Amino acid sequence: MKRSYVIKRILYAVFIFFVVLTLNFFIPRIGVSDPAERYYPPQGAMSEIEYEIIKQYTREQYGFDVSTFQQYIRYLQDLTHFDLGTSLQAGSPKVTDLIGQRLPWTLVLSVTTLLISLSIGLLFGTLAAWKRGRWQDTTLLNASTISVALPAFFIALMLSFYLGFELELFPAYTNPNMVGQFDWSWKAIQVVFNNAALPIMSMALGGIVGYSQTTRNSVIAVTNEDFVITARAKGLSHTTVLYKHVLRNAMLPLSTSIGMSISGLIGGAIIIEQVFNWQGMGTLFLEANSTKDYPLMMGIMLFLSAFAILANLVTELFYVILDPRVTVGDKR
Amino acid sequence: MSTKPRLRTAWLVPVLAGATLFLSGCMNIDYPCRTDLTNTLYVGVVQSSFPTAFMPWLSRDGIAPTIASMLYSTLFSYDDDTGDFEPSLARDWYYVDAQGLPIVTESGSTDYDRLEAEGVKTLTNPQTRKTEQYLTVRIELDPRARWSDGEPVTADDVYYTLDIARNNYLSNHAGALAWTADLLHLYSNAGELELQGIFTFNHGAAAQGYAIDEAEKDQVVYLHVRGVLGAVTSLFTTVLILPEHLWEPVVSRDSQLNSRNPDERTQSLYQNPVGSGPYVLDVEASGPSQIVLQRNAQYHLTKDDARPLYAVETINLILYQELNVAIYAVMQGHVDMLDSSLSANYVRLFEGRDDLYVSAAEGTYVQTLVFNLNPVSAEQNPMRSLLADENVRKAIALAVDTEMLIRLVANGAAVPMSAGLIRESLTDFYNPNANILAGDQAEQLRQANALLDQLLPEKDDQEYRLLDGQRVSFTVLGSVGEIELISFLEIQLQKIGIEIRYQAKGSSPETTYLYTSRFDMTIQGVIFSLANVDIMLNAHFVALGRTSNYGRLVRSDLTTAIEEMRSTLNLHRKYELLYDLQPAIAQMYYKVPLYSSEIVSIARTDRYTGYEVVPGATVFNTTNLQQIQRIDSANGAVESVAAGEGGVTR
Amino acid sequence: MNTRNALLQVARSGGSFLSLVRKLWQHPKGRIGLILVGLLVLVAVLAPVLAPYNPYDVTQRAEKGLRPSLDHPLGTTITTGQDIFSMLIYGTRVSLLIGITTGVAIAFLGALLGVMAGYIGGFADNLIMRVVDVLLVIPTLPLIIVLTGLLGRSYFVIVLVFVLFGWTGLARVIRSLVLVLKNSNYVKAAELAGASRWYIMTKHILPGTSHLIIMNTTLTCAGIMVAEAGLSFLGLGDPTAISWGKMLAEAQGGGALLFGAWWWILAPGAGIFLAVFSFMRIGIVMEEIFNPRMKASSSIYKLFKHLNNDYMDEVFRSMDDEESAQSADPSDRSHPAALEGSHD
Repeated sequence: MKRSYVIKRILYAVFIFFVVLTLNFFIPRIGVSDPAERYYPPQGAMSEIEYEIIKQYTREQYGFDVSTFQQYIRYLQDLTHFDLGTSLQAGSPKVTDLIGQRLPWTLVLSVTTLLISLSIGLLFGTLAAWKRGRWQDTTLLNASTISVALPAFFIALMLSFYLGFELELFPAYTNPNMVGQFDWSWKAIQVVFNNAALPIMSMALGGIVGYSQTTRNSVIAVTNEDFVITARAKGLSHTTVLYKHVLRNAMLPLSTSIGMSISGLIGGAIIIEQVFNWQGMGTLFLEANSTKDYPLMMGIMLFLSAFAILANLVTELFYVILDPRVTVGDKR
Repeated sequence: MSTKPRLRTAWLVPVLAGATLFLSGCMNIDYPCRTDLTNTLYVGVVQSSFPTAFMPWLSRDGIAPTIASMLYSTLFSYDDDTGDFEPSLARDWYYVDAQGLPIVTESGSTDYDRLEAEGVKTLTNPQTRKTEQYLTVRIELDPRARWSDGEPVTADDVYYTLDIARNNYLSNHAGALAWTADLLHLYSNAGELELQGIFTFNHGAAAQGYAIDEAEKDQVVYLHVRGVLGAVTSLFTTVLILPEHLWEPVVSRDSQLNSRNPDERTQSLYQNPVGSGPYVLDVEASGPSQIVLQRNAQYHLTKDDARPLYAVETINLILYQELNVAIYAVMQGHVDMLDSSLSANYVRLFEGRDDLYVSAAEGTYVQTLVFNLNPVSAEQNPMRSLLADENVRKAIALAVDTEMLIRLVANGAAVPMSAGLIRESLTDFYNPNANILAGDQAEQLRQANALLDQLLPEKDDQEYRLLDGQRVSFTVLGSVGEIELISFLEIQLQKIGIEIRYQAKGSSPETTYLYTSRFDMTIQGVIFSLANVDIMLNAHFVALGRTSNYGRLVRSDLTTAIEEMRSTLNLHRKYELLYDLQPAIAQMYYKVPLYSSEIVSIARTDRYTGYEVVPGATVFNTTNLQQIQRIDSANGAVESVAAGEGGVTR
Repeated sequence: MNTRNALLQVARSGGSFLSLVRKLWQHPKGRIGLILVGLLVLVAVLAPVLAPYNPYDVTQRAEKGLRPSLDHPLGTTITTGQDIFSMLIYGTRVSLLIGITTGVAIAFLGALLGVMAGYIGGFADNLIMRVVDVLLVIPTLPLIIVLTGLLGRSYFVIVLVFVLFGWTGLARVIRSLVLVLKNSNYVKAAELAGASRWYIMTKHILPGTSHLIIMNTTLTCAGIMVAEAGLSFLGLGDPTAISWGKMLAEAQGGGALLFGAWWWILAPGAGIFLAVFSFMRIGIVMEEIFNPRMKASSSIYKLFKHLNNDYMDEVFRSMDDEESAQSADPSDRSHPAALEGSHD
């Protein structure tokens, strides 16, 4: 029955999340004899005995004075309040706050890239499928080959150089005032997109190619199906055939593909964000890494993993809803 | 077919939509620096993030200490060249003798002879149970000094700040960021005052026998400092004074001064700093990528003609996370100057540009090659025992070709440093006799080889010397930026048959030299100046112990000499001893100087003019802030009086 | 198209390694791929001979930031004065070494685990597949960054982490094939004859998957090379080695964009492109050789999906669906034949 399948998938997702949680807890403790050592203040002029007292006090402050198992339980408890921990940055901001500040900016990049790749990809793909074997199709194939071999950050550097430094069409680096001066005015939004142009272009190329290929092959596959041939034989115009039958059915595999990309939406932009200095989750993670801010780093990783699990789950369930044929333990 | 044209043109729609969206912003990019007509200086700062809390002892990373020093004041500021203390929150100070009379000469400066004879008293330290010598200092504050909320700065603020710096119970070792160890005011770990060393009208001055008039009760502070000349330096020039009336009600055991989990009130104080410095934080305008400082109209120090001491009215610090981005910003006019020092590689980029001012200031850090002479027994090995031999070290020191390093690694933007490790510009005590590593390089190479031929005559087929059949080989711990330097040292030492290899400095303490002397050699930047010789010479050449053995040189004769230098109360004698110490240090060949890099920084000249090169600093320094003038964009000429004139009203 | 038969054909298409190379050569696109890979290997091996300067040797460095000239075809770096052209040549070594080593290691681990999961089934299958699910959910790049911070920055750590994450794709693909092979006649015969599990796995099943492994490995190598470039670009590789990704990082950090030294960026990028492209070519052509029914025009599509680890999944899912479809209502109008895979 569908319902049991849905429940099974949800339970399974929870199980995976739990495993990821545990891994997340233990990873910073790999090879480190005293996990509290990052929190100790510098010894300065203190004597050995003084420093020991300070170390003990620090351990108490950060919760390292109890056994590992108890720390783990506390970690789980904090998670139930959606508390991912406190960052080591000056001022001790909460990890969830930091993520909340930066997440929307990464989403601006990722979602826009997704929309653009999708829309252009759909159209290119359909065109290539329609013109199968002709120049449109082969161009697409060649473009695909090339785009897979060119890393996105290389494209980003070249774009930054030519369009940013040489031609000055777009800012080569993100304006650091963009975040602080954002006030939801039309002007501010324009500034944001002007700065986002180059990062989006770098990421969109691969996306366009991917979605084009997926669409093309879906469309070709569907076009060969009986019901389409039937529709054509009935004398329906190409337009009707195309929109009403082909595309609608080709959408299904495409939507699953979109679902899959969403899970990689946030973590995938790390290198591009770094090239352009875009203040998103990617650069937050790299900053945390350079200052060895493990609470922040692991908090971000947990967030990304949770997001991926959720995205996968939603996609699978969506798929189940859309495709009536996929059932488990069907009546047949 | 009817679909063909539709398909062909359909993809234009999202493309055009996207293009419009992206390009529309092009017209609207405004960089405020280009259009701002006010007296606002835009400074680019390269850092991963800006601080959001502005308590001076919360952090010493990045721009935080600089901002703290602009928002808060110390008692005095230090003049590197003369060694004098310039008034800041305080106007005057002197040592006092047993009768409470000032120990000064007719001209007003400290009478060192009388100080030695009559100024020293003794007490018993309740924590170590030993007797210690101490001096009494009397400080007079400037009655005009104000906090930015209008309250006057009083002696009780000074008491509060110094007191809490010594009280780890309440301050969570915030005081470790300022060197207050020479102030004899001691707390137990449980927060009980065991020895009082700070006295004001309201805090036991009378009981101690220090007379303070009713009229000046808010301006006078007495201190008991350890009986060394350098004790007052850090207390006067590095401790930023906090307002007692704001902090005292808030700080407690649960919410310490330097708390990692501050409560609401503490957090509010962190984010809305009230200081007595020349600038005030504009909290509304500041954010994660921008910090705005406004000139404090109530700042008590002014120029001679009563004009504000600091010429720049507003400072706008802009965050850049990457140096190249920041340089691009300066070149495009998005900011007026950069706070960072640049590698000399970039100088070529600025050639021929009239709108940029390139400042190449004398550096204060010297890169040295440090040997591990003194490993703990677990880290002893035959190679390191070689390093304990002074002749081996001397040979290596002689083989280092600093001219080549300056030319090829530092691109010419560096100067050699004497082996005594004191800068030539410190003319009061610089000893040219310590400059034993300067000379004809070929001759030095010959000497080095001669020395080693006696000790390690055997060589393998690649001309490297052998110790008991094994190639003499050392690893040099360094960061990624030092790889190039170490590669050049490699080929230089190859000429005397010694092999060295780069070893990455790790991020955990176990893999850096700070851990039980687990290294052969390392690259270290050292800085010795008049202000820090007391602390630094001791730290580099004497202090041992703890797990960070550091492989330190420990020589009893040197130790005694340094102790004497540190403890003498006669300034002239101190300079004499420093003079004599330098050849001694040089001949130890323990820290071999490589070069001292110049500090290269840039500023634009289209909005401000009057920049000056300040030794040891980038263009973003106090002198420039006090004197640069805004160019009036209307008539293009300098607004008012030329830079550099006008002393400071004391 | 009967995919199951097609795959069995892949498994059964005989021939040794040499005949494989010969077939690649005969294929026009395969020839290009082979030549390119051969050239790259040659450059990597003969680097000291081909490079005009030794970038590791500080005495051979020239003035910093020179523009391209006869002496230095690609100029010199701004930060250290090394000859960029020589660095490009030496960079081939690192890229090829890491790519091939990781690919081979993944081949071993993935094949082993896939065969175990597929043949032994039951608990082993469950366990391995759960591990795969967990690994797929954790974001790879951040995890690699964390691990290099903990374990040190060396290529050994990077290879280790790549292998740790990369085996999942191959394992699932192999597992699906093994499920098919399990039921073939000669395997059943061997079981009846009383052969041990390990014997059957190594003698019968593993050889049957060999072509799949080789194909997959080639494509994996291509993917790893891109990933390694990305990691070196972020500064996580060995700081003393010379690699294309690191050259790009140095170019960006040293201000190539400020100085207008576009060649410093273009050269390593072109290197990465060539290396990845040539390996891809070979992988795609191999697929055509093994499975002549799959047309060339769909191969790029498959490559793209493969690099996302879901090409084969999709094929096998489609197999499952075909089975369920055959029992579905024939009047059902929606009938996608090619379904998407499950995870990125």
